[in-house]
Amino acid sequence: MNREALIAGVGHSPFGKLTGRTALDLEVEAAIKAIADAGLSPQDVDGLVTDPGPAQGILNGITPHYLALGQLLGLNPRYTGSEILGGAGSVAIIQRAVMAVEAGLCSVCLCVYGDAPLSAKGSFDYARGDEAAFGLFGAAGLHALAAKRHMHLWGTTENQFGEVAIAARAHAARNPNAQLQKPLTMKEYREAGYIVEPLKKADCCLISDGAAAVVVTSADRAADLLKPHTRILGYGQAHNFGTYSSPDHFDSLPAARCGPEVLNKAGLAPSDIDVVQLYDCFTIVVLMQLEAYGFCAKGEAGSFVEHGRIGPGGSLPVNTSGGLLAEAYGGGMLHVIEAVRQLRGEAEDRQIQGAETALISGHGLGMNTHTTLVLGV
Amino acid sequence: MENEYPLPQPTPFTESFWDACQQELLQVWRCKVCGHPFLPGGPVCPECWSDDLEMQPVSGRGEVFSFVVYHRTYHPAIPAPYIVASIELENGVHLISNIIDCKPEMVRIGMQVQVAFKQKSGFKLPMFTPTVHTNTTFQLKRGNSSV
Ligand SMILES: [Zn+2]
Repeated sequence: MNREALIAGVGHSPFGKLTGRTALDLEVEAAIKAIADAGLSPQDVDGLVTDPGPAQGILNGITPHYLALGQLLGLNPRYTGSEILGGAGSVAIIQRAVMAVEAGLCSVCLCVYGDAPLSAKGSFDYARGDEAAFGLFGAAGLHALAAKRHMHLWGTTENQFGEVAIAARAHAARNPNAQLQKPLTMKEYREAGYIVEPLKKADCCLISDGAAAVVVTSADRAADLLKPHTRILGYGQAHNFGTYSSPDHFDSLPAARCGPEVLNKAGLAPSDIDVVQLYDCFTIVVLMQLEAYGFCAKGEAGSFVEHGRIGPGGSLPVNTSGGLLAEAYGGGMLHVIEAVRQLRGEAEDRQIQGAETALISGHGLGMNTHTTLVLGV
Repeated sequence: MENEYPLPQPTPFTESFWDACQQELLQVWRCKVCGHPFLPGGPVCPECWSDDLEMQPVSGRGEVFSFVVYHRTYHPAIPAPYIVASIELENGVHLISNIIDCKPEMVRIGMQVQVAFKQKSGFKLPMFTPTVHTNTTFQLKRGNSSV
């Protein structure tokens, strides 16, 4: 098999002063022309990478994030870029670093997540497009719609969402770095009241200022470094760009596409994973991912998490540092760091004995993006 | 101005949908090549990329696909509690909207609803009310009793 890449088609829109046309309109035109030039059809397309350009903006309208940070760090790197995948972004930048290192584009790649949403109060509560006219603000509403569907389709109960929150708090109680150190009882969970029904306060993640970084390098370069190496056993992505108008938007996650594929390629079954680090912006997303990755059957996650199964000492501990629900909102990068600590045997009171494999997920935007990373010793 | 509704910002692709709402008409985009109905709109059909598109009126009837109750106020013009729902229209297109004239505890997934245009800050928004079975029954009963 020859995996050498080549260019199969090109196309572009007119250039110049194009009054009345939007950037997106022009991008669609260019895409159609390039696909036609290649002799392909829309159904053949299964990947999309974009650059929104400076006018459409990345950070403050003009300065890309990597440039702002790189200038502060005094770097003149050989390879750089930012990802805009919401909560799937931390895993995505590690994937990108792995690819860049393996392609020889760089040899030591620093992967950094950081944000300060508390300093810019309310920034997690932004309007969800035109749907804000109906009060669709923040991320809780969207995930509550998915939670309600799960309850309707599978008989999942609010107490079963509560089991996820209680497990997260029990894990966090063993993590001195966690924001929420106190365990949560079912009574406290139920009495805290709804944010967006059926999701209660403890179903929703923390909001935190903070940053986290991971260094990716090559085995050669790492040969004489101090810490035990954490190997990359597999990675992948899948996305669902359907709108809220698409029929099944709230019933499934793109994780169901990339999760099993990444595990297969790594030669692993879900039961082979020792450390499970699932993006947990809301408890419902943990349930949906347990199903999507095959830790339990579709529709059975509610009963699966009962009796402390995903808590400390359970048969499948999930998010041993407490996750977004109880440790801190770390964008997903803290999930990666906890996995690395578990594989190195550095997790102290939380240590899963003999941990050799870890799975980390990222999930973002309006339930649109998903990233998967599998690590090993 | 704080209590102005956070109204939609029509684009060249969504303005015909919102314009129709101002006439109290609910319309969705339909591809004339493959028949795919869709919202919110774009330069081409997202199924086959044809640009041969038309707006098609729909009945305004549908059912509740999912719903949630906001217990927190995110915008001063939309005080909690309020119901946000994903409505499945008869042609299969889904729409995020509000369910109004209905207590939150009465809403069910699968409940039949119909569009009701409500003016907010001078702009008509397509919201949904439960399909009126109870009133019909009431009128029938009253008719019978007067005989
Ligand atoms: Zn079409």
